[in-house]
Amino acid sequence: MSYNILSYSIYIPVICFITVKIGWLFYKHGEIFLLNIFEYNKTLVNSVNNLLLIGYYLVNLGYAIFTIAYWEHIESINQLINTLSTTLGRIIILLAVLHYNNILILTYIIKSKSLKQ
Amino acid sequence: MENSKIIIGYLIYLPIVVSLTIYVSKMLFKNGRLFMIDIFKGKEDIALATNKLFEIGFYLINIGWAMLILKISYYSTSGMSYQSLIEILSKKIGGFSIYLGVMLFINLFFFFRGRSKSRQSLKLTTKPQLKTPK
Repeated sequence: MSYNILSYSIYIPVICFITVKIGWLFYKHGEIFLLNIFEYNKTLVNSVNNLLLIGYYLVNLGYAIFTIAYWEHIESINQLINTLSTTLGRIIILLAVLHYNNILILTYIIKSKSLKQ
Repeated sequence: MENSKIIIGYLIYLPIVVSLTIYVSKMLFKNGRLFMIDIFKGKEDIALATNKLFEIGFYLINIGWAMLILKISYYSTSGMSYQSLIEILSKKIGGFSIYLGVMLFINLFFFFRGRSKSRQSLKLTTKPQLKTPK
């Protein structure tokens, strides 16, 4: 078994766990914002929230799996740890940036809604 | 011998892609029913029929695209290793998954747009009725 396959088998569970956990947290805590935006229409908010969660999973897990195709060739344990942490770190920072972006958009929408009323 | 790994790749790729498409489309149009009913102003039979037709269209586009990008072209003198099989498959499945996510968001955008459009027209048609004192 080469080092590359070993690194993939560490990488996939870790990134799946992180993505699923974060998506679930957003799903639970973002519902209140969606309720505010959609005038407390509970069934509509549920379906929108579900679809957003599925879209998030598809794009993020897809990107996480996609990066495997451009993995560098690994020859030692040292290099394995370096590559793993770089790739994981990049994806986690990307998630954080997307997250803050989302918060900004949400506050913007809520502000513009409250200005209208 | 070299071809057999490519066939293994296809056998892994096809079930994953088809089941992913079916799942996403089922979820999308199960949750999209509400939007459709809103868009067609409560005419439920037309809304459900349109929803079904869009679902079939979604299947056709996505499974067709998945089959179009199926081909694995890999040539090497030393044969194909499992590592390169994993890398090729990850590129295909990950890319398809991103594509599916983008399609989902586009569909969601259309739902929102149709809903707000139908609400606008509803407001426009009800306003003159309120204003004319007959």
